[in-house]
Amino acid sequence: MNTIETHKLTRKFGNLVAVDNLTLSIPEGTVFGFLGPNGAGKTTTVRMLAALIAPTSGTANVIGHELGAGNRSIRRSVGILTETPGLYDRLSAEQNLIFFARLYDVPAQRAQEQAERYLRMLELWERRSDRVGGFSKGMRQKLAIARALLHEPRVIFLDEPTAGLDPEAARTVRDFIKELRSEGRTIFLTTHNLPEADELCDLIGVFRTQLLRVDTPANLRTGLFGRGTQVRVVGDASGWASTARSLSFVRQVTSQDDRLLVTLDNPDEQNPYLVQALVMAGAQIRFVEPIAHSLEEVYLELIEDEPAAAVQN
Amino acid sequence: MDKILVILQKEWLEIRQQRGLLFGVLLPPLLFTLIPVGIIYLSGSLVSNGSLPSPGKSFPGPVFAGMTTAEQGQAVLGSQFSIFYVLLPVLITSIIASYSIVGEKTSRTLEPLLATPVRTWELLLSKCLAALIPGLIVTWVSGALFIIGTAAFAISGRVFSAIVSPGWLVVFLLWTPLLGTVAIAAMLAISSRVNDPRSAQQLSVWIIVPFFAMFFGELAGLQVLGLGFTLSVVVVLVVLAVLSIWGASRLFQREVILTRWK
Repeated sequence: MNTIETHKLTRKFGNLVAVDNLTLSIPEGTVFGFLGPNGAGKTTTVRMLAALIAPTSGTANVIGHELGAGNRSIRRSVGILTETPGLYDRLSAEQNLIFFARLYDVPAQRAQEQAERYLRMLELWERRSDRVGGFSKGMRQKLAIARALLHEPRVIFLDEPTAGLDPEAARTVRDFIKELRSEGRTIFLTTHNLPEADELCDLIGVFRTQLLRVDTPANLRTGLFGRGTQVRVVGDASGWASTARSLSFVRQVTSQDDRLLVTLDNPDEQNPYLVQALVMAGAQIRFVEPIAHSLEEVYLELIEDEPAAAVQN
Repeated sequence: MDKILVILQKEWLEIRQQRGLLFGVLLPPLLFTLIPVGIIYLSGSLVSNGSLPSPGKSFPGPVFAGMTTAEQGQAVLGSQFSIFYVLLPVLITSIIASYSIVGEKTSRTLEPLLATPVRTWELLLSKCLAALIPGLIVTWVSGALFIIGTAAFAISGRVFSAIVSPGWLVVFLLWTPLLGTVAIAAMLAISSRVNDPRSAQQLSVWIIVPFFAMFFGELAGLQVLGLGFTLSVVVVLVVLAVLSIWGASRLFQREVILTRWK
């Protein structure tokens, strides 16, 4: 079952198209990474899906509620961590949480219990009576995450949850996100931290006004760069490039110093034949390993191209 | 209704924790009460020991008919300060509303607030009431003290009736909530464009400019706050309040706040 579905969702600000024909389906229990450069329209997309602003055209369904007619129901059912935490500095951590819980229709007693639960979970319980104005950035971010969860939403929008956090705080937040996923919640995560997206996300959408590509991290890598094998030889590898190219199943060959980088359709089956051909040609093989393209390479490859037509998911 | 109460509680909790704001809310009414009552007391004392100088003329208007010159002097002095109660609701509600609305902007709490299921009219009503109720309470308490002080220190019942006139009572009871409402709506419009409460307050000062005309009229001895005049202004203020609320509700939409408030 999909918890979020959009169909040609578009948002314009005057002549500026911020989001162009976004069509997307996100299954329940998925951590969906929404990647794109600054100004790509990610925050605008999150605001539309959280029923904060209306689309110019197109439709969306969030947890079974139609965007527009079901806006209040959507807001009641989703949690959102906005780009800036947006907490009341003069109120204590506990007061902040209870206030927002009550606005999410959480009864007073339960609001108190939920505030305690998440303050303890995020290691803020000892500071519950302290004014938020004195909190560090990491503490504010954790408190804002707690605020997004008080009403136990099934869908959570996290806009750059680890931005500006020290490594320890960022690790705490990432572990917490994994815990939320294990509870079956759907998480819509926008981030510039690509290793974090690689670590956390089941699906990644690369976006720049239009959706450029959506897939699992592994499929994004192989879909764009193919699968490859790196062969380390004794001496300069460039002399063995032609041997590799002569094989019919080899798509591409490049050499770098003592390494041959060979793109194949099915390395698991084709590697033995590749190695056999090189050895028979006289190459001395040091070792053979798969080529690993980083998510950053995928992202930059997609973003640097002209925006493709919106990808139907 | 629940959400309105929740927001009101939060607003008043924040107000209590801002000393500067509390000072701005409590000091003007204190001064606006102590100064006129003090002057009425002093003028009464001067009359009783024969030291009050004659005003040198009789003042026009039926309210002064039959008064001695001493009574006229005290009545004119007291009436001049009664105009303060036109300024108080505008001043206090503007101060509170500026901190409330601009404060939400600068602390970036508007977006998470709007992300909750609260309706914008509930949020708007809460913001208005959070500023209006304290403004009215402070104005009415200080006005009540002014009435008590005038009753205690006026040299005659005629002086009391001239100062606490039917027209003034209309101002005190009916103008104040309407003026407060208009001030809050104006502050909302201003706050959508500025990012500092003090800037918002400075701009809102223009709301009270018309009332200075009344003040100087009272200084010149004109009986500005007559019953007929004050009742006709009530009608104007009702229309103005309705229009300003309508305008404020158009400015206070989720979409507008998130995309057009600077």
